[in-house]
Amino acid sequence: MIKLKGMPDSMLRCIISEDLLACDFASSFEEMRKRGEGVLPGARVVLDFGARALSEDQICRVMKEFVWPAKAEAVAWITYDAASQALLKRIGLPMVEPSLTQKNNSPRKGLRHDGSLRSGQRVEYPGDVIVVGHVNDGAEVVASGNVTVLGRLHGLVHAGAEGDESASVAARSMEALQVRVGSRVGSLDRDASWWGKPVIIKIDEGAVLIGFWPAVKAEEPSKAQV
Amino acid sequence: MESRVIVVTSGKGGVGKTTTTANLAAALARMGKRVVAVDGDVGLRNLDVVMGLENRIVYTLIDALEGVCRLGQTYIRDKRVEKLYMIPTAQSKTKDAVSAEQMQQVCLELRKEFDYVLIDSPAGIEAGFKNAASGADEALVVTTPEVSAVRDADRIIGLLESMDKTPIRLIVNRIRPHMVKRGEMLGVSDVLDILAIDLIGMVPDDEAVVTSANRGEPLTISSTSLASRAFTNIAHRLAGDDVPFMSMEDDKSSGFIGKLIQAFRK
Repeated sequence: MIKLKGMPDSMLRCIISEDLLACDFASSFEEMRKRGEGVLPGARVVLDFGARALSEDQICRVMKEFVWPAKAEAVAWITYDAASQALLKRIGLPMVEPSLTQKNNSPRKGLRHDGSLRSGQRVEYPGDVIVVGHVNDGAEVVASGNVTVLGRLHGLVHAGAEGDESASVAARSMEALQVRVGSRVGSLDRDASWWGKPVIIKIDEGAVLIGFWPAVKAEEPSKAQV
Repeated sequence: MESRVIVVTSGKGGVGKTTTTANLAAALARMGKRVVAVDGDVGLRNLDVVMGLENRIVYTLIDALEGVCRLGQTYIRDKRVEKLYMIPTAQSKTKDAVSAEQMQQVCLELRKEFDYVLIDSPAGIEAGFKNAASGADEALVVTTPEVSAVRDADRIIGLLESMDKTPIRLIVNRIRPHMVKRGEMLGVSDVLDILAIDLIGMVPDDEAVVTSANRGEPLTISSTSLASRAFTNIAHRLAGDDVPFMSMEDDKSSGFIGKLIQAFRK
């Protein structure tokens, strides 16, 4: 009558059969609370009513007799009945199942390349890249994350290559004439003050900015648009 | 002593691969080594001209690979220097006429007869270069102190490293010391900084090279010009001798006083 199923992202799905009569609510809920004693408290639960037409009274009873005593968090009320959907909407209850593609909080794995990259060599990686060496003229690093070059950056680096404009490029000696972050391309000048110096490049307000790295505390870090 | 097969390459064209191959081959032969210089540039052969042996070509490397003749029949013995030989290639064919496997086989055979096998590689990074390099153990990378040449050299070094050629050593050719002083030309240290391989020699820009190429007489056979001395030094270093790097300054630029001082130094 009432089934409890596991779902991805540690959610639970409570499937309340359409055949369950309202008069059986109380006993069924109590049984479910007992069965789910170990998992329900604090759990995120999707309440699936199928094609059942929910009344205001039934909604109240589900809350009073199930959700609140079980100390669960009802994250979605699912019904295919149009009138019930309108009712739930009017009351302000969530009706959409949470996206299963949650933001990935696990650390993004990075790639460490030991040694310099010679002209013509290309590193492409879905994450951060650290080059322990130089990136020579004609070499390319294309990363979806940040790029750090612990040497001379003379070749082409593209950080945030999949569109992440919060990515950055750091280099011990900036000697490249072009750098790319997100969907932006920055052109650089040999005459600029940061040429040959350690820099960090990021996007700020839609423009590719270059600043000295590390920033000197005593003064405002000098930043300029490239 | 084990035979050595060395490919002379660069990536960029016109930086001095053929000149280097010819001069090193002659210098090594003058040191008593048995040397063969192989032209690896099928279709655009130049080694024969630079060595002055084009009128003696009967069979080419391609003829040997096609079974028209034995490999030994392609050798041209240089009459000016004992133990110096050359194998020409075809001008009427293209790089497709040779495969990497065939070059490896040729190098295996040449090892049996020669102390040094120098292969003059074509420019580029495609099949021509790959075929020329395939049979070699070591590589000499020739570059000039120009940004474009250095970038191409970097590319070719990357490819040689991935082909496990070792050692890979650098020759910086056509250096103009007065331009380096004025900051208008990369210095050798700038080049080494980028390429990060061992330097085996520096060769100054020398008009004598142009004349010698046109005459078909490698400098190291008889000349005492700066470039000739530089190539001879490289040959000695190749053979394992410890030779200090010479100054790149041109004798002419030091003037009368300079010559006087030099005379006293001797």
